[in-house]
Amino acid sequence: MLHDVKEDYVKSIKNSTSSYDKKHFRYLASSDFNGWPSPIEEKWRLSRLGALSRLKIKPIEPNLRKSSIHNKTIGSNIIKFVDGALRKDLSSNLPPSIILKELNEIESLEFLKKIKKSDLNNHPSTNASLSCTPSIIKLTVDEESNFEELIEITYEGGDDDFSVHPVLYIELKKNSKLSLIEHFNHKSTLVMPLQLIEVQEKAYLSSIKIYNDNYDTYNLSAHCALLSKDSKYNSFSLVKGGIFTRSETHAYLNGSNANLNLNGVYISGKKQHHDLTTAIYHNVPDCTSKQIVRGVLGGFSTGVFQGKVKVSPDAQRTDGQQMSKAILVSQDAKANAKPELEIYADDVICAHGATVGELDDDQLFYLNSRGIGKNKAREILIKAFLHDIISETVDNKYHDYIFNEAQTSLSSILNEEKIINE
Amino acid sequence: MSLLEIRNACLKLDGKDILKGLSLSVNEGEVHAIMGPNGSGKSTLSYMLAGREGYDLDKGEILLEGKSLIEMSADERARSGLFLAFQYPVELPGVGAMSFLREAVNSRRKFLGEKEFDHLGFVKEARKEASKMFVKDEMLKRSVNVGFSGGEKKRFEILQMAMLKPKISILDETDSGLDVDALKIVSEGVNAQRSKDNAIVVITHYQRLLDYIIPDFVHILSDGAIIKSGGPELALEVEKNGYAGLINAS
Repeated sequence: MLHDVKEDYVKSIKNSTSSYDKKHFRYLASSDFNGWPSPIEEKWRLSRLGALSRLKIKPIEPNLRKSSIHNKTIGSNIIKFVDGALRKDLSSNLPPSIILKELNEIESLEFLKKIKKSDLNNHPSTNASLSCTPSIIKLTVDEESNFEELIEITYEGGDDDFSVHPVLYIELKKNSKLSLIEHFNHKSTLVMPLQLIEVQEKAYLSSIKIYNDNYDTYNLSAHCALLSKDSKYNSFSLVKGGIFTRSETHAYLNGSNANLNLNGVYISGKKQHHDLTTAIYHNVPDCTSKQIVRGVLGGFSTGVFQGKVKVSPDAQRTDGQQMSKAILVSQDAKANAKPELEIYADDVICAHGATVGELDDDQLFYLNSRGIGKNKAREILIKAFLHDIISETVDNKYHDYIFNEAQTSLSSILNEEKIINE
Repeated sequence: MSLLEIRNACLKLDGKDILKGLSLSVNEGEVHAIMGPNGSGKSTLSYMLAGREGYDLDKGEILLEGKSLIEMSADERARSGLFLAFQYPVELPGVGAMSFLREAVNSRRKFLGEKEFDHLGFVKEARKEASKMFVKDEMLKRSVNVGFSGGEKKRFEILQMAMLKPKISILDETDSGLDVDALKIVSEGVNAQRSKDNAIVVITHYQRLLDYIIPDFVHILSDGAIIKSGGPELALEVEKNGYAGLINAS
């Protein structure tokens, strides 16, 4: 278990002279990793970490190996993390308005305070990654800067029985704009990405995350987003890799007219477990939040969507929408949806809905009646189900790319079902 | 040999007898109208013919060009040349009308041993056929039936019929939800496809549609069986006296 590992680790590096170990020790000594959350905790009831807690895992020490995976990036502005460490030597040069740097000790403490104030305080990745990250990296976008091109962050590396701990702080200053795609392609047993996102006044962050780690990988991503007045944060997650991927986002709408979109798609097969968990805190009046989540599940996979929207007494005229839909393509797949609304203001529009089901009989029959075979008809309808949300929630420029990424996973799941059905 | 032969079709839904020994034979080049009051089994008949799951015959036989349809799934029946124009065409959000049409047409062509259309070739062909049915290009760019008006949906059904070139078409209450102008366009579309090589079965409540698609034979369906057959004059009799008179007489 990681907390045992931590003790061993602390002992082993106490007398080490390597600067990497020393740095780690500092975080470890100050952190309070209390072991894995128990399934008794409501937040983890549907996503249990029992199997993970029995594994012997230790944090990886980044080395200067060459990038091992050829990542499918689409642009030319790449920021690369290997084994959780920023690799400037493998990253592109960024424009002067975008600054990438390692936080010093004082800045790291500031970062820690902000995270600890949020509800991610008890998330296992918060404590483990603050302890074990090689360094906290900050990406700052200057005031008034509007870099039109896409920036891509790729996370890779790791190994069997090791954990990887990238920690990133993204700050968009006033009136700035940034478009990001993040690719998760680890091959380690465990990845615990931790992210703090601050979108200041009138800034706009558009972010796409593609979770495509190795089939054996556990990915426990934790994101904390802070939105100021008139800011906008659009997030879309495509979850398709890993044996267990949970992307958890806590978003705080702290300035009026902040606008948040937290959308996602999960495509799960075999014994995969995919989880999109969100908590949105409407703390001030006149903010909007919208979540659309869709899942396609085959094999013995399970999908989870848990979304909490909390509207504080002051947050009048809040508009909070939440909708999740899952389609099961195999009899052994399972989907859980748990929308949660906590509303303490009177003048709000909040709606939520969740459906889990099979494909629509009328639609299938209509396609069959035109000579289109059963398997093809299912494929057409499932693709349409995903195409719909992708075209509604993803920036036009990246539709095709995201749809193709989704389609590759979808095809392999549908092929497996076909083999079983035949 | 008839093109379509239904022999003594019996079908139960939820334990209730719906079709009670229905027989009908349709030859190439013919147009048949099946008229009947609500609840007579008209929609059941069309689903049964198209092979919808749950609408299997308990007794009886259906033959298309001498081949039994009983063991065939809906998609096999369609590829073999049976077409059902839906009373309520189904919306398919996210499925582009053009790619849907191409998938359908290519399935049929593959069955017939004809060369499948490539993307460009198909777009050209579809536009040509669509213009005849007053289906605008813009409609083909939308999702199937999504946001289509009642008239557009029915025109799109007949466009599919034109492109699939079925041997036998079943038109299920194609007139429902259509105003007179739309009815004319749809009927002209259907009439353009009448030929000596195919046949059409029009299922309808009202005689109105039969002013535009003039049938060779009219059958009265009541309580799951055909109780009377005749020429177009039978439809006029229904219009004049209602179904009750005919049913009581039988």
